[in-house]
Amino acid sequence: MNHMRSRFSIGRIAATTLETLAWVGLATALVAILDSIATPAGLGSLYLIAVLAVAIRRGQVAALAAAVLGVLILNFFFIQPLHQLTIADSDNVVALGVLLLAALVVGRLAGQSRQRAAEAELRAEQAAAREREAAMLADAATALLGGTDDLVSAISAGLDAAGRGELRLGASSAPQPKDGEISLRLPTEARSVWLYAAGSTSWTDADLNRIATPLARLLDVAAEREAAAARGAEAEAARQADAAKTVILHAVSHDLRSPLTAIRTAAAGLREEGTTAEDRIALIDAIEEESDRLTRLIANLLDLSRIEAGAVNPRTDWCDLLDVISIAISHIPELHEPHRIQIELDGELPLVRADASQLERAFANLIENALRFSPSDQPVRVSGGAGAGKVTVRVVDRGPGVPASERAAIFEPFHSGRGDGRDGVGLGLAISKGFVEANGGELRLQADSADGTAFAVSFPLVEQPATVA
Amino acid sequence: MSAGESRVLVVDDEPQIVRGLRVILTNAGYQVEEATTKREALDAVSVRPPDAIVLDLVLPDGDGIEVCTDIRRWSQVPIVVLSAVGDERQKVRALDAGADDYVTKPFGSEELLARMRAVLRRKSDEGDSAVRVGELEIDLADRAVRRDGEQLHLTPIEFDLLSQLAEHPGRLVTHRQLLQEVWGPGYEDETHYLRVHFAHVRAKIEPDPSNPRYVITEPGIGYRLRVD
Repeated sequence: MNHMRSRFSIGRIAATTLETLAWVGLATALVAILDSIATPAGLGSLYLIAVLAVAIRRGQVAALAAAVLGVLILNFFFIQPLHQLTIADSDNVVALGVLLLAALVVGRLAGQSRQRAAEAELRAEQAAAREREAAMLADAATALLGGTDDLVSAISAGLDAAGRGELRLGASSAPQPKDGEISLRLPTEARSVWLYAAGSTSWTDADLNRIATPLARLLDVAAEREAAAARGAEAEAARQADAAKTVILHAVSHDLRSPLTAIRTAAAGLREEGTTAEDRIALIDAIEEESDRLTRLIANLLDLSRIEAGAVNPRTDWCDLLDVISIAISHIPELHEPHRIQIELDGELPLVRADASQLERAFANLIENALRFSPSDQPVRVSGGAGAGKVTVRVVDRGPGVPASERAAIFEPFHSGRGDGRDGVGLGLAISKGFVEANGGELRLQADSADGTAFAVSFPLVEQPATVA
Repeated sequence: MSAGESRVLVVDDEPQIVRGLRVILTNAGYQVEEATTKREALDAVSVRPPDAIVLDLVLPDGDGIEVCTDIRRWSQVPIVVLSAVGDERQKVRALDAGADDYVTKPFGSEELLARMRAVLRRKSDEGDSAVRVGELEIDLADRAVRRDGEQLHLTPIEFDLLSQLAEHPGRLVTHRQLLQEVWGPGYEDETHYLRVHFAHVRAKIEPDPSNPRYVITEPGIGYRLRVD
């Protein structure tokens, strides 16, 4: 492990020896200078300074060596008898003993403080490593909060930046390490994710294990969030559908309620004894008309629900469009006078393949819509012909036309056409389009011309069946 | 025509509808009997066959179409079914199962009474070979059609088609019935024959062929001769 430095390298021993000798030499030089003015025992304390310095800088062993060396030099060069390692004066024995003891104690103290410093250094290094891991996890958490789609890649990128390209994540059931990589499975609950560390990494197994758990938890949280978001989206879609349903129900219930109210009121009027015979007939007419209105609305709602559910299932047969249109007109309520419809159809329109009753509903709605928007003194024209591989019928009114902004929406159900509120929910054109298309035809709004608004219904021109005499 | 002798069995489980039908039919001179389930209906028909049946297609213990099928095994009593709005298939199934005609709920009293008269007429009108509708006169015995007394020239097939309708004025005649009667078995699906030939019939008999008065199309089902 690279943060455990060796204490016993050759270089270090040499440097320590030299420094110890230097400090002892310095102390000896001072003692030599001061020898004439102080007692040898007093001069011994100068060696104490050297021992202290060596202890602080080089540790306990060097300090002891410095102390022993100092005591020997002092004894040999400066204490009587000179140049002998014997001591005449008992005072000097005490002084040397004290010096040796002091050197031992000081050296030990200094050595301890040195060790503490080294430990502090190690702790600082560990703290830095932890900080790096924390930064990495913070990046991963940020990626998670950012709501990224692929959290594994996002965290991997974060690790790459923080770990200087040494770490990456990969989601797979079995580990897929690159050359020389160490792999470690993250303890995730859901899917299997692997942490890979480059072989030449400064990351230890302990480091990797330490970050594996929080990374796994982050990924689990992300998976949970994803699931919750999916549930939320579902709930939101359901809520919007509910909101749309409420709007529709509101519109429909209004349209149901007004004829019901009229019927109820008419019945109450009939019950009154004072009602005249003439009024009774008017009230009965009202009941019949409003019932018819309800019937048409319900028929329209049923038609629309079948169209929207894709349950139209046409009973395809040969259809004469002229026939279908005349039936459609005969079913249009009497409030629109039939003479306002001008039919300009070629008597011999080719037959088309379609469900006659559904086309009848389509044309009835189309013609009713045209009548509604046509000025009362202008007829609605129904014209048609065959050409360009199609049989086409056009329903043209001289009404106010459809504003450009409305054109896309005009065939949408519950779009109440050209700002007219009489039909309320506006289902007619949606039904026309639905039935025409379900029968293989096409219903288009043709650009407004001087003629008025034209809706064109076309069906493919098919080979006519053989006729019989 | 007097309806006084005719007994009508009303089969419906909706009390309000039965009440309304009873008032309408009684005022028109019919005797009304009631059944509210499939079982009651079949019992009533077997015990004392009515002259006509008004049959709702949705009954608490089964399908009105099954009632038609069962009754047709042993009786030709006219049946008018009450069908739900917008359900074309159900109408067709009922007619295929032997019903004579239908009215779509909700219906007006005139419409129902016109159907009742039409389905009951076939008995009382036997022996009369000329049918008069408005200005139109169809002589079944002489195979002649006149409008305002003026002879119209129809091909044999056109006349056969028109006479099929005229034999039961006001009554629905389905595509299948027309094709079988006029062209014979094996032609039941050739409905385009009908479109083509009725277009020709209309061109000859109708004052305004694009707005027919006499030959009424029931889209996807059949034709009827209008009687007013």
